[in-house]
Amino acid sequence: MNDLNKRIEEYTKKFKKDISEVRDKKSLQEVRNTYLSRKKGLVTHLLRELKTLSPEEKPEAGKRINELKETIQEELQRVEQNLESPRFTERIDLTLPGKKRYLGSPHPITLFQQEIEDIFVRMGFSIETGPEVETDYYNFEALNFPPHHPARDDWDTLYVTDDLLLRTHTSPVQIRILEKKKPPVRIIMPGKVFRKETPDPTHLPMFFQVEGLVVDEGINFAHLKGTLEVFLKTLFHEKIRIRFRPSFFPFTEPSAEVDIGCTLCQGEDKQCRLCGGNGWIEILGAGMVDPQVFKNVNTDPEKYSGFAFGLGVDRTAMFAYQISDMRNFFENDLRFIRQFLQK
Amino acid sequence: MRISVNWLKDYIDFNVSTSELIDRLNNIGLLVDEWEETEEDVILELETYANRPDTLGHLGVARELGAGLGAYLRPKEWPLIEADEKTSDLVDIQVSDETLCPRYCGIIIKGVKVGPSPSWLKKRVKAIGLRPVNNVVDVTNYVVFSTAHPVHAFDLAKISGEKIMVRRAKKGEVLKTLEEEDIALSPEMLVIADSQKPVALAGIIGGENSSITEETQDVFIESAYFDPVSIRKTRKKTGIQTDASYRFERGADISFPPQAALMTASLLSQMGGEAAQQVVDIYPKPRKNKTVVLRNHRISKLLGMDIRRDFIERILAKLGFHIENKSPESWQVKIPFFRVDIDREADLIEEVARFYGYDKVPSVFPPLKDVEPGFDQKRARINELRQSLFHYGFNEVLNFSFSAPEKEVKFHTGRAAIEIKNPISSKASLLRTNLMDGILENIIWNRNRGAGGVHVFEIGNIYFWKNEKYGEELRLALATTGMIEETHWAESPQETDFFHLKGTVEAFMSKLRYEPFIFKEENHPYFEPGFSLLLYYKGEMIGGLGLVRKDICKNYFLDEDVWGAELSLKSLFEKQPQPFRYTPVSRFPCVRRDISFLADKDIYFQEIKEALEKLNIPYLDRFELYDRYTGSSIPQDKASLSLRFIFCHPRRTLQAEEVDRFQQRIIHTLKTKFGFQLREGG
Ligand SMILES: [Zn+2]
Repeated sequence: MNDLNKRIEEYTKKFKKDISEVRDKKSLQEVRNTYLSRKKGLVTHLLRELKTLSPEEKPEAGKRINELKETIQEELQRVEQNLESPRFTERIDLTLPGKKRYLGSPHPITLFQQEIEDIFVRMGFSIETGPEVETDYYNFEALNFPPHHPARDDWDTLYVTDDLLLRTHTSPVQIRILEKKKPPVRIIMPGKVFRKETPDPTHLPMFFQVEGLVVDEGINFAHLKGTLEVFLKTLFHEKIRIRFRPSFFPFTEPSAEVDIGCTLCQGEDKQCRLCGGNGWIEILGAGMVDPQVFKNVNTDPEKYSGFAFGLGVDRTAMFAYQISDMRNFFENDLRFIRQFLQK
Repeated sequence: MRISVNWLKDYIDFNVSTSELIDRLNNIGLLVDEWEETEEDVILELETYANRPDTLGHLGVARELGAGLGAYLRPKEWPLIEADEKTSDLVDIQVSDETLCPRYCGIIIKGVKVGPSPSWLKKRVKAIGLRPVNNVVDVTNYVVFSTAHPVHAFDLAKISGEKIMVRRAKKGEVLKTLEEEDIALSPEMLVIADSQKPVALAGIIGGENSSITEETQDVFIESAYFDPVSIRKTRKKTGIQTDASYRFERGADISFPPQAALMTASLLSQMGGEAAQQVVDIYPKPRKNKTVVLRNHRISKLLGMDIRRDFIERILAKLGFHIENKSPESWQVKIPFFRVDIDREADLIEEVARFYGYDKVPSVFPPLKDVEPGFDQKRARINELRQSLFHYGFNEVLNFSFSAPEKEVKFHTGRAAIEIKNPISSKASLLRTNLMDGILENIIWNRNRGAGGVHVFEIGNIYFWKNEKYGEELRLALATTGMIEETHWAESPQETDFFHLKGTVEAFMSKLRYEPFIFKEENHPYFEPGFSLLLYYKGEMIGGLGLVRKDICKNYFLDEDVWGAELSLKSLFEKQPQPFRYTPVSRFPCVRRDISFLADKDIYFQEIKEALEKLNIPYLDRFELYDRYTGSSIPQDKASLSLRFIFCHPRRTLQAEEVDRFQQRIIHTLKTKFGFQLREGG
């Protein structure tokens, strides 16, 4: 009895294999004969052996053998039909290309900006935005650039009137938010900014920035470092080298610039097109919110502290994708843009 | 700022490799952009900051580096060979505007032999990238680039009336500069004048009429402190920027003019001149040093770590700060005049931090507490919109916000464009009032580069004046032209058309649940009359779509049909979309009825749709136009329309008779209202 069951199972498996290899009528007939031939068919044999079983065992075994026989017959019929259909009579080259769907591609800057946003959103930051045409007050004065201060020269400005300008950074949004929201504040502010720059491979009169701001009691420089390190390691990779060095921005004190180690030359190539040979790439400006900025938004700098940072989306994307000319972003050549479908 | 390493060694002793030197400077915030090793020197190109005029000379850089390396500045002697007379015997100096010139010093050197500089001086001058001129000019340059304090040399013989007057310019006065350029002076500018005429634009540039020449014998050296804002305004107005104006504008050291004068005099007297006795020093209101209180606990609080007291005190001392008073908790720090950037406690904390080393501050992820999670509806909608557009094969582009009047005028947007006062070029002299211009540029760019079809969109602001206020409006523009890729061997190539564009618009409007939306065939300035639809939501016009006008396309050398749309996302997002609602799926079979009609061609489908919707047929789940035919088998003014109606009842199977009744109502309405004829078999 056990022997019989084992063979039923064995034939079931073997049949599956045999039928899957059938490619024409001849081989189909061979399979049919192997299992169902009246004289030598495997299933025919099994049915014959039924007789040798005891009356108790007989009905169960008979049922199983008949099931197998039916399955085989159905399969043989199905395959026979297939072999007669045009699909098999006129053979089709299945290695011909499949149908593609034309999908639109995101612009690399938007894509990269979203990548940056997503990292901060996961860290609990909210997204805020502000106007692109700004007043001198929000763009400069509230950020501790006194009128006539030479620091303003570092932010080459396009003016609409004496008081109205195209914002040179997304930092004015800091002021707009702090004016209406009490700490704790944890926000990023992405957007378009403008500078009076003649276009060349690394400068454009319009580009994109993401600004960040964290304000609360007890926020310190170590927190600034911790946040930006997590950010940069997530955006690039865990092993990236990060350097904080002192710098100057009117709206932060102490101020810092954050460089990452050149991934192209590792600082080895004096002619490196990415880092210019010094091994580091400037990625972020940052610092502790200047006490004067807090005073300008009626927040007590003794009670609250905070840090702010900003990075150029275009510049960082150039570095990340090793794009050598920033103008590529705004030519909107689809051969350029559509590569980012795969990103 | 070019820095010579040899020159630094005049002030401090150090012996480190170039790469270590660069690292040290970078770590304290003096960024070395580039460097160059010559045979006997190393030249560093240093990035300096607007608030640190003290680092615009080798002395200041040496002081910083010394603090970083643990070395004190070496004092330097400036011996004089003195003449018999006093400076004040030889010239009468008067300052009539103390606000613009709070301090003015001068000294006369007699019998200077103008000629080539000694080789050590030539080397220094060349090291910072200047050309040696003569000993007097080279000495003044040497003093500026050593101390960051500008000094100016006048030919005393050319000063009329032995009089130096520091005064505001008079209207109509003109100064011919050393560069032979005539500057029209005005009363807000400060000048140095003799009894008759201006001889220099104070703190900016000398006049040709008092300049040093080969014949010069006696020299008057000016060493002053000028008001930074006044210098900046004059510099901007005249467009003349010099090494002197650059430093005065950022703030010179008001305590330093006498020393700079003596240093200059000493150097010139070593080259054959004799210095008159005593520097004249006009400083009517001497200033007091600022003092700032630095509290130990604030350092820890702001940096997130403790720093040892002895380190703090040592660094402050090396940087030239003087601790006047201290308690276990705080220091009272006197700020030297050369540190114009230090006003507050935070400024001193930065000094401590930068010499302690930013790299030694730990990295700590801040505690995330108590911040309301913000959710930006607008951004979420923009993203959904973008996804729909990608799905329909539109690629995202980003164009500059700049435009030109001749471009804007063609779109007749009815918006007053914002002009830029100081544009980078006339082609970018104003801000765009439409997005379509950029899109058309993108189309021709890609067509010229072999693209068979171009399907693009941009989301961005337009800008305009409205009632004397500036405005920004978020818009979406999209356009499609040419072939719809991808080509496939099993299908014939397909060209884009208006309904591809419209389908896309309908899809995202529906995806964002801005329903019901309405299209009306009305004119739009960008689109050909008769090929132009306006889109309405909740009664407001949101934008238009259609065939971009041929006369507009011509400007871009675009001959083919461009189907475009431009919508105001601002208007749309200000309105509420429909709330999302789920409807249970009926477990009972739905009934489908297909009906074909002959209809007049000039009946708008929109009207048919509205009429059918108004009927309120019970259990009519939806209806759609599944075929439209015009051609030889039907009259020329007619179209055959095939409509499919789907009826579903949520709780039971619909009876054929009741659906027949609904169908009759539909047919009746379409017949009577629009004159439809039922087609056989329909
Ligand atoms: Zn490199």
